[in-house]
Amino acid sequence: MRFSWRDTLMSYAFLAPALLLLLAFTFYPLAYGTYLGFTEYTGARFAQGLGPKWIGLENFRTLLADPLFLTSLGNSVKYLLVVPALQLASLAVAVLVSRELPGIALFRAAYYVPVVTSISLAAVMWEWVYNREGTLNWALSALHLLPRGEAFGWLNNEATAFFAVMLVTFWRGFGYYMVLYLAGLQNIPAELEEAARLDGATPWQRFWRVTVPLMKPTILLCTLLSTIAALRVLEEVLVLTGGGPLNSTYTALMYVYAKAFQGFNFDYGLASAAGLVVALVALGLALVNFRLFHEAEGGDA
Amino acid sequence: MKNLRLLALGLALAAGPLAGTAAAQQPVELQLWTWYLSPKFDTYIKDTLAAFEKANPGIKVRWFDKQDSLVQDFIASVNLGNAPDVVNLNIDETQKAAQNGFLRAVSDLSSPATLNATYYPQSVRNFTSGGKVYAYPWYGWLNEGVLLYNPDLLKKAGLTRAPRSLSEMLSYAKTIKDKTGAYGWVPALKDPNTASFLGYFYSEGLPIYDAGGKAAFNSPAHAALLGQYVNLYKGGYIPEDAVRREAFQIATELYAQNRVAMIVGGPQALTRIKDTNPTLYGKTVVTEAPLGKAGVQTGGSMSLVIPAASKHPREAAKLAAFLSNNANQLAFAKVVPIVPTTRAAQTAALFKQSGSDPVQRATALVGASGRFINPGYKAPGNSDDLYKNFNDNIEAAVLGKKTPQQALNDAAAYWNANMKK
Amino acid sequence: MSAVTARPARPAVQTRRPPKRLLSTVLRYALLIGVLLFAVFPFLWTLAIALTDKTAGTSIYNFPASLFPKQVTLHNFGEVYRTFGLGRYVWNSLSITAMTVVGTLVVSALAAYPLARFRFPGRNLIFSVIVLTLVLPTETNFLANTLTLQKLHLLGTHLGVVIPTIAGAFGIFLMRQAFLSVPSALLEAARLDGAGELTILTRIMLPLTRPSLAALGIFTLVGTWNAYFWPMLVLSAAPDKVPLSVAVLKLKGQFNYDPFNIAAGSLIMMLPVLLVFLAAQRLFMRGLEGAVK
Repeated sequence: MRFSWRDTLMSYAFLAPALLLLLAFTFYPLAYGTYLGFTEYTGARFAQGLGPKWIGLENFRTLLADPLFLTSLGNSVKYLLVVPALQLASLAVAVLVSRELPGIALFRAAYYVPVVTSISLAAVMWEWVYNREGTLNWALSALHLLPRGEAFGWLNNEATAFFAVMLVTFWRGFGYYMVLYLAGLQNIPAELEEAARLDGATPWQRFWRVTVPLMKPTILLCTLLSTIAALRVLEEVLVLTGGGPLNSTYTALMYVYAKAFQGFNFDYGLASAAGLVVALVALGLALVNFRLFHEAEGGDA
Repeated sequence: MKNLRLLALGLALAAGPLAGTAAAQQPVELQLWTWYLSPKFDTYIKDTLAAFEKANPGIKVRWFDKQDSLVQDFIASVNLGNAPDVVNLNIDETQKAAQNGFLRAVSDLSSPATLNATYYPQSVRNFTSGGKVYAYPWYGWLNEGVLLYNPDLLKKAGLTRAPRSLSEMLSYAKTIKDKTGAYGWVPALKDPNTASFLGYFYSEGLPIYDAGGKAAFNSPAHAALLGQYVNLYKGGYIPEDAVRREAFQIATELYAQNRVAMIVGGPQALTRIKDTNPTLYGKTVVTEAPLGKAGVQTGGSMSLVIPAASKHPREAAKLAAFLSNNANQLAFAKVVPIVPTTRAAQTAALFKQSGSDPVQRATALVGASGRFINPGYKAPGNSDDLYKNFNDNIEAAVLGKKTPQQALNDAAAYWNANMKK
Repeated sequence: MSAVTARPARPAVQTRRPPKRLLSTVLRYALLIGVLLFAVFPFLWTLAIALTDKTAGTSIYNFPASLFPKQVTLHNFGEVYRTFGLGRYVWNSLSITAMTVVGTLVVSALAAYPLARFRFPGRNLIFSVIVLTLVLPTETNFLANTLTLQKLHLLGTHLGVVIPTIAGAFGIFLMRQAFLSVPSALLEAARLDGAGELTILTRIMLPLTRPSLAALGIFTLVGTWNAYFWPMLVLSAAPDKVPLSVAVLKLKGQFNYDPFNIAAGSLIMMLPVLLVFLAAQRLFMRGLEGAVK
């Protein structure tokens, strides 16, 4: 393949600011963090002013021998269940609000409320919902779906806590992806949809045959982001359950976080190693994603 | 990293002579970090610091109040080479910091005799690690300092007086819940970042470690005590959230809403209730809390530590000693019902007066009892991992996944396999 | 808002099948309202709690009464605002957020354009490495980044909070995907007319991808507005410069626990962003016809 020198020069000129900043504030610290995964770097070393010490794969051996880490990794993979539901719902909601109807602006803004809500406030609110005496139980018993005596706290129950947290992720996420899909939808020529409509296609058929295929670049972007986010889920769990009950919501990133930020006992080496394992899984899933959406990537780019 | 450090060192050496002469003329500036004291106690801290600066003309103090991020900021500041000079930690964090070498031993800065004469011996012991003292004990609290209760709820449950023993507490919890629907009280089953249930063992006179320093909290007696709480939880007499959130938070929140009848704890609970529900505050009865079989209190205190990375340890020691001296702790006790860790507080007139105001009564009850401040167990090396495992096991017992004995056996085995030092 | 709602909704179809049309509109609104309840219910409850007169000893768990406070008061808001002196922190938040949003948009658009539209050696490598940063462990980044800022003398400044965050994989990725979907014919035509690349970027690409730019802008705005860990570290020695998000953490302080005040404080945090979104949401929709020419 031959490249034009003009395009090359131009490209790097455009890329320069981003590359410089990325180099200094993203690539360099990430490379350093990756390196830390193969070192011993604990609070005790740090306090004495000693740098990290290379120990090869020792941290990874520790991780694989720690049942807590394996549990947490399993939970994080299980958390991926939220991705298809979240993406389908977000795309559907985006289609729903893309039509101009009276008052639609308010709906769009309202759907974005969960995204704007800071996680600590979201936690307080959902705690009120999931509490034993909370809204959810109140609503269920008002509808006679739950006998009064059998009420339980949704976050305190091993069977429900995981999905309760997942619903919060869903709630915080759908407005976010809705905005991305809404932006993507604007690239679909209106004529195409009109043509399908005149051909007598039902809304259901139009969605699958016109909207979805044309939205592939956006869907790739969103599923990829959502997959990585699900695998790296942390905040919701941290504030809602702290990993409990019985570690049923303890995620891999929580493990990383605990090792990196447990005060003076921190272990940056082990934390980075655990982060690398998560990264490896995420990378594999990202490749699958790219493969699945391969056609959409080709084209003129 | 290493190169950077060398570079920084080189620069520091090069600038050395210059910096030296400048320092002689300029006043020393100290950085003081406190924990969750602003904005509520701004006036007290500022006044005290002003008094210190007046007494020590060569020293200026810059005060920062930190929240959640205190320890994280501390670590980051060490990394950046601008560590604070005096930092407010608690017992657990002080032990962790000392174990990892972040602190300068204050017994090298102040004479041990002075420390022992100023503070209660147990308070000094709370901050001792490997034979050295690592902090100036600061304000404290007692976990069983006072019992405060909502008289309406007790009356509704047909109870005429406060409980006087742990077994009475347990039966009260049942009666109150059955008769009124409100919870009796919220025991600290597994407060985050600590191993709160160990405190209950200590109260009952049960050992945490054996003579060799190994975990020994899995005797049948230990299991029986845990079993009592497990049964209470299973019967629905303890709020479910007690396995997920800090007990004190739940208790103060629910008490103000008339949904918990009693709080065992420090008078600081009262200040919250005063803010959120003044009517209930006025009615609240404050009395002595029941103690366990051992007849001992548990409690904790704050500390003022000197980071190893502080550039002015002598001046920092002066400041820490000043803030934690008897007069200043007593002055703090006037603002908020804390328990001073200074010996002289035992005879302070402040704690002899009593009135009808609940906070005043609570202060009078606990203020002079600083000698009892003792968490009941010493933080083990690698405490974060060990506490998490201990709490996981307590949770497994409470939720019926393990028998109390099995849970304690598992926890003790984990501790003995993973304890450092 | 009026400009948006006034647009005619495909009149040709409307006239052809009126009864079915009506039914579908009703269904649409039913669905819209269902999702609305899911989205804003917790928010409304927070609002109700923030407005409740807490001195009456009411329980926040008392349904449905706690949704409809009997005694409404703005006292909680006032108390939070005064106790924490939030005014100056609002200004800090505005300054940090504005700089971050502008910086992110400029840097991302500039970088994404060649990645989407040019062939040059190293393109795939650069793009892959940028995407890779999305998954790598970031927990220890602050160690290196605070040291770099210290060397640049940016520690304790708003610029120090902003600069490390403006070049990110997300923004570049998002804008690249948006640029990919612009028809090549438009670019070729412009090039034949002799337009420079910067002109093409600013006159054709950016207007055509305004929805994505707006999305990136609002995401950056929200993320920056709510972020607290990084600003807290950078501004650790300059507590007067911290943003609102760091300041309201004090609400959860040991002696200050109070659900009513937390609700009020959190709403003070949220409202500005929501208003911006409401004002900006029409930007997510395709630009006015002129831009597509």
